[in-house]
Amino acid sequence: MYAALQRDFAEALTDPGRAVPKDIAACHADDAARRFSIYRNNVAVALIDALAARFPVTQQIVGDDFFKILAHLFIAAHPPASPLMMFYGEDFPGFIASFEAAKDIAYLPDIARLEAARTRAYHAEDAAPLDAAVLRAIEAKDLGDVRFSLHPSVEIIASAYPIVTILAMHMGGIPLAEITDWQSEDALVSRPYLDVDIRCLPPGSAAFLHALSGGHTLAQAVEYAVAAHSDFDLGINLALLFNAGLVTSLSIVSPEDMSP
Amino acid sequence: MMTVKTNVAGISLAGSLATALALLSGPASAGPAPAQPTMDKCYGVSLKAQNDCAAGAGTSCAGTSKADYDPAAWKYVAKGTCETISTPKGMGSLKAKS
Amino acid sequence: MSRPSDLPCAAGVGFKPQHFEAIAAGPQPLGFFEVHAENYMGAGGRPHAQLHSLRAHYALSIHGVGLSIGAAGPLDGDHLARLKHLCNRYDPQSISEHLAWSSHGGTFLNDLLPLPYTQETLAIVCAHVDQVQSTLQRQILLENPATYIRFAQSAIGEADFIAEITRRTGCGLLLDVNNVFVSSVNQGTDPRAYIANFPLDHVREIHLAGHAETHDGGARLLIDAHGAPVADRVMALYAEVIAKAGPIPTLIEWDNDVPAWPQLLAEAQCAQIILDAHQSQGARSATAA
Repeated sequence: MYAALQRDFAEALTDPGRAVPKDIAACHADDAARRFSIYRNNVAVALIDALAARFPVTQQIVGDDFFKILAHLFIAAHPPASPLMMFYGEDFPGFIASFEAAKDIAYLPDIARLEAARTRAYHAEDAAPLDAAVLRAIEAKDLGDVRFSLHPSVEIIASAYPIVTILAMHMGGIPLAEITDWQSEDALVSRPYLDVDIRCLPPGSAAFLHALSGGHTLAQAVEYAVAAHSDFDLGINLALLFNAGLVTSLSIVSPEDMSP
Repeated sequence: MMTVKTNVAGISLAGSLATALALLSGPASAGPAPAQPTMDKCYGVSLKAQNDCAAGAGTSCAGTSKADYDPAAWKYVAKGTCETISTPKGMGSLKAKS
Repeated sequence: MSRPSDLPCAAGVGFKPQHFEAIAAGPQPLGFFEVHAENYMGAGGRPHAQLHSLRAHYALSIHGVGLSIGAAGPLDGDHLARLKHLCNRYDPQSISEHLAWSSHGGTFLNDLLPLPYTQETLAIVCAHVDQVQSTLQRQILLENPATYIRFAQSAIGEADFIAEITRRTGCGLLLDVNNVFVSSVNQGTDPRAYIANFPLDHVREIHLAGHAETHDGGARLLIDAHGAPVADRVMALYAEVIAKAGPIPTLIEWDNDVPAWPQLLAEAQCAQIILDAHQSQGARSATAA
C-alpha cells in the first residue's frame, strides 16, 4: 500500500508529465496539484543548486540558463544515489562531454573534471605533509631508489586546454580576458592542509606524479616522465613535491625490492 | 656488484637534488644559495581554491521559495563567460537544441 | 536503556562554515551548535577541523537529513553506518532526524517528503527508529515535518502519530515550532491545537526558523525556507510552548540567505530571553516551594 504510494509520489516528483498521486489532498480540493508542485520545485531546485555549488566555474562559462538545462538533463539521467550532496555530480563532466549543445566549448568537460577533483580534495582524508628537511638529508646516490607516498588528496587533471588559466580567470586570480597563449595545461589538485591548491604542472610532471603515486621509485618515475616529455626537469619537480606538501612519507628501497 | 646510479634518463640526480634544495621554500639552507633556475609561468604557483566552491553542496532541511521549475522557460542561449574566452578555433558558442 | 539526548537547556544555532572565524574569535553566549550530519561525512579537511574545534568548546547536536526514516523500503545501511561513525567521532549530546522520507528506489531526492499517517506507516517508522537507536546505541530525536499537502488515507493526526512513535520506540522529539506553524497555515488547521495535542514531555529540542510567505491561488501558503528571521507569530507560539513545557534547548536554523554572525546570534538571543524568563520563573517557584 504505502510502497505503491511512495513510488507514485517519487515518480511524479521528477516527471512533470505524470499526474499527481491521487491520494494527495489539500485543504481545497483543487489545490492538490499546485501544492504537489512545491515538492517538485524543492527537489528540482535543490539538485540544480547542488550541482551549481560544486561546478560554479562551469556554470559561469555557460551562463545560468544553459547550466540549468544541462543540470536538469543530467539529474534526469543520473539522479543522486547518496545523500552526500557534496559529492553529487561525479558523472557530470562525462555527461557534459557527451552533450551535443556544449560541444563547441571543448574545454568545458575538463573544467568540470577539475572542479569535481577540487571537491574530492577538499574532503579527502587528512595526512601531514613531510617537512622539506627530509629531502636535505637524502644523498644523491640514494635518490633514484626513493619511493614516495603522496597525500591522499592529490589528483592530476591532464588537459589539452589551458584549464588552470581558465579556472584562475573565474576565481578572481587573473582578469577574465582573451587567452593569447592557448596551450595545454595539466592541473595538480591537492590539499596538504585545509585549503585546496590548484597548480599548473610543468612538462612531464603528470607522468612523474602518476608513476610515484603508483608506487614506482624516483628513478622509474623519471623514466616515465622523460618518455612523456623530453623537457622534464627533475629539480623543479622534486622542489614541487615538497613545496606543495605532496609527500607524506618516503622510504629508500633496496635494489632487491624494486617492484612497485 | 652494486652500481651507484648517478644519472637516470640522462638527468643528473646530484644536479637535480641541488636544484631542488635551492628551490625549497621555508627556512633557507645554510651557505650561499645557488643560482635559481627560471620557473615557467604558473608552475609552482598555487591557486588557492575558494572554500565555498571547494566544499561542494551542503545538505539542507529547508524548502525553497525560489520558484524555478519550468524547464520550458530556460533558454539554450549562452550568457556565460565562454563568450569572452576565445580559443584558436574562435569563440565557444552554445548551440540551440536542434 | 540507550543514552538519552542531553543538550544544555539554552539557545543554540545551526553552524555555517562562513561563521567559523567569528565564532572562534571569542566565547559565544550559546548552549550548543547543530550541524547536518551529511555535511561531515567526508573523510577529512576543513569541515572536520572546524567541527572538532567547535566540539571542544560547545555541546553538539548532529541533525541528519538523509536517513529517510519515513521510507517504505529498508533504511540505507551504508548511510546508517556513516552516521554511527560520525557519532563515534564527535560524541554529540544529541542526534536527530526527520519524520519524512527523502530516498526512493536508490535515488536521493534531496527534500524532506511527507508520509500518510496510518497504522502501516506507523509500524514502518517505528521499525526504522528502533533500528537507528539500536545501531547508534542511544536515543534519537524525531522532528515533525513542514508539509504542503496531506494524504486522503491519513487516519491518525500528526501529533498523535508522533506521540505513538515515542511511546513505542522511546525516541525523544524535536519540536520544530516553525514547521507546526507552516503546516497549520498550509493545511488550514490550528497550530495551538496541534501543540495542545503534542507530547511536550518528550521534547528534548526545539527548532525555530524563518519561513517564506506566498500565495497559492488566493490561499496563504508558507514555505519552510529557513531564509529569514523567525516570524513574530512563530516566536509567540514558541513562548507559549516554553510557558507550558518549561525551558527546552532551542535552535535557530538559518540555511538560505545566511546572515552575518551578529544577526544570527541576535536571533538566538531572542530565544534565550524567553528561556531565561521561564528559567528564573522556575527557579523562583522552586525557591518559594
